[in-house]
Amino acid sequence: METQRPDSIAPAYGSRVRTAAAIAVACVCGWFTMELEILGVRMLAPYFGSAVYVVTGSVIGTFLLSLAAGYLLGGWLSGGSSSGFLLGLFIASAGAWTGVLPFLTGPVCDWIFERGLDEKWGSLLAALALFAVPTVLLGTVSPTVVRWLTCRAEEAGFSAGLVLALSTAASFAGCVVTAFYLILYSMRLTLTVSGVILAVLGLCILSVSFLQRSKHA
Amino acid sequence: MLKTRWVCVMLMLAAVQSVPAAPAEWGQLIARRESLYNTIFVYQQGSVVTLRFGRRAAVPIQSQVDLNNLREHQLEYTELAFCGLLYVPEPNSILVLGLGGGVIPRELRYYYPEAVIDVVEIDEAILPLAKQYFAFAEDEKMKVFIDDGRMFIKKQLRGPRPPQYDLIILDAFNGDYIPFHLMTREFLEEVRRVLSPRGVVAANVFFDNQLFDAEWATFLAVFGRCEVFLGRFSGNAILLSGGSQVQMPSAEELLERARQLPEQRKFAFSLPAVAQCIMPDLKPDSQALVLTDDRAPVDWLRQQRRGD
Repeated sequence: METQRPDSIAPAYGSRVRTAAAIAVACVCGWFTMELEILGVRMLAPYFGSAVYVVTGSVIGTFLLSLAAGYLLGGWLSGGSSSGFLLGLFIASAGAWTGVLPFLTGPVCDWIFERGLDEKWGSLLAALALFAVPTVLLGTVSPTVVRWLTCRAEEAGFSAGLVLALSTAASFAGCVVTAFYLILYSMRLTLTVSGVILAVLGLCILSVSFLQRSKHA
Repeated sequence: MLKTRWVCVMLMLAAVQSVPAAPAEWGQLIARRESLYNTIFVYQQGSVVTLRFGRRAAVPIQSQVDLNNLREHQLEYTELAFCGLLYVPEPNSILVLGLGGGVIPRELRYYYPEAVIDVVEIDEAILPLAKQYFAFAEDEKMKVFIDDGRMFIKKQLRGPRPPQYDLIILDAFNGDYIPFHLMTREFLEEVRRVLSPRGVVAANVFFDNQLFDAEWATFLAVFGRCEVFLGRFSGNAILLSGGSQVQMPSAEELLERARQLPEQRKFAFSLPAVAQCIMPDLKPDSQALVLTDDRAPVDWLRQQRRGD
């Protein structure tokens, strides 16, 4: 049974370039999710220490919960006719948030700490406040891309497997490169550059989405 | 000929096999704990007890104690850490970050029975081991707080009247894992806020790598002045800075002070020998990075040898 492609930037007309572009977007977002997670541990340490609660509980927990929410949201929105537009908007917003994160961290963490919260609930609250929004937004990407790659029901498993595999491999690369190399540089600089890259990517998707729509109209 | 060579090879192999595994020189393994942060090993050889984290030979010993002679420092750095007393001979309140076997706080308690000593240790599994095997004991005025060092200080600063310590000893390194957030300019600024104007802060560091220069540069950035005491028998060094009222005397004057102090306190070790470890002419690398919360590549710096 053929289904209607949900959006025009999908690899319609069998274009391999579009398939590759869609997967690349999922990979870039997978990379930046893990980059943010690793830097997140470093960002919270000055305010909540490096106790095991902060690292494994608050930061990793927040990312998993946010990704779960992002997958749900992405899956829900992926069938709509404006999924390309939304995806561009989400990625650009995640980029903007990432860019201003260095300026949010101090005030947010200090405010929470001053309320008497400590390394457990304080760091969890701080991690949610700082990292949930961009991670939810980046989490919407994979389900949307899976939907774009899927034309027939029997392709769904392969599309999902391919997108998850490649974006997770990109996450692995993001982990290694961040922990081994990016950590040598200023965190503020790394986050600003990452935010700009994401924002530009999001704006590109937005403009492609608009162009396609006006062509169809 | 061939046969002789084979015999040689076999003999060499036998020799290799009979070499004791690295930890054997510390004797029998008497306790092992898996904690949240470390795998902790306690060894005993006669009356000497050794504390180690992990089995890797490259990881330095945390603590070593001779139970028959508690006054004798087995490791050079615990003795070096007493250099702060040359500047503050009568500390009323002391903060020690990092417990380990508890040698530093225990010896400070022995020589200063009246001082309030706060000890902070992140790993709750260490305290029972220090008490059971390393002759460490808490008392009315010496308490161990299970907390991250930076969190402990932040919580003190959050209170209405933050303490003003006369002596702060930073010893929170466990060899493999380097807590970057206990080395940055922002952290040292928090430390300075709980340091009395006449007090000093002494940090135990390793001097064979570029992290040493970076830590030194960071101390200079925060406190303006910083003395360094280099170990003679180990890779340890102490970085020492003082509050606003602390005079930094010349090396000769310091030695003179060291000679006078033991008359009052009867130190079992040589404080003049500690004073002679000061290196007034040594300078940190001019390119050294001041560590900040934003940028502190401590693990990488630790792997880079020093230039000189």
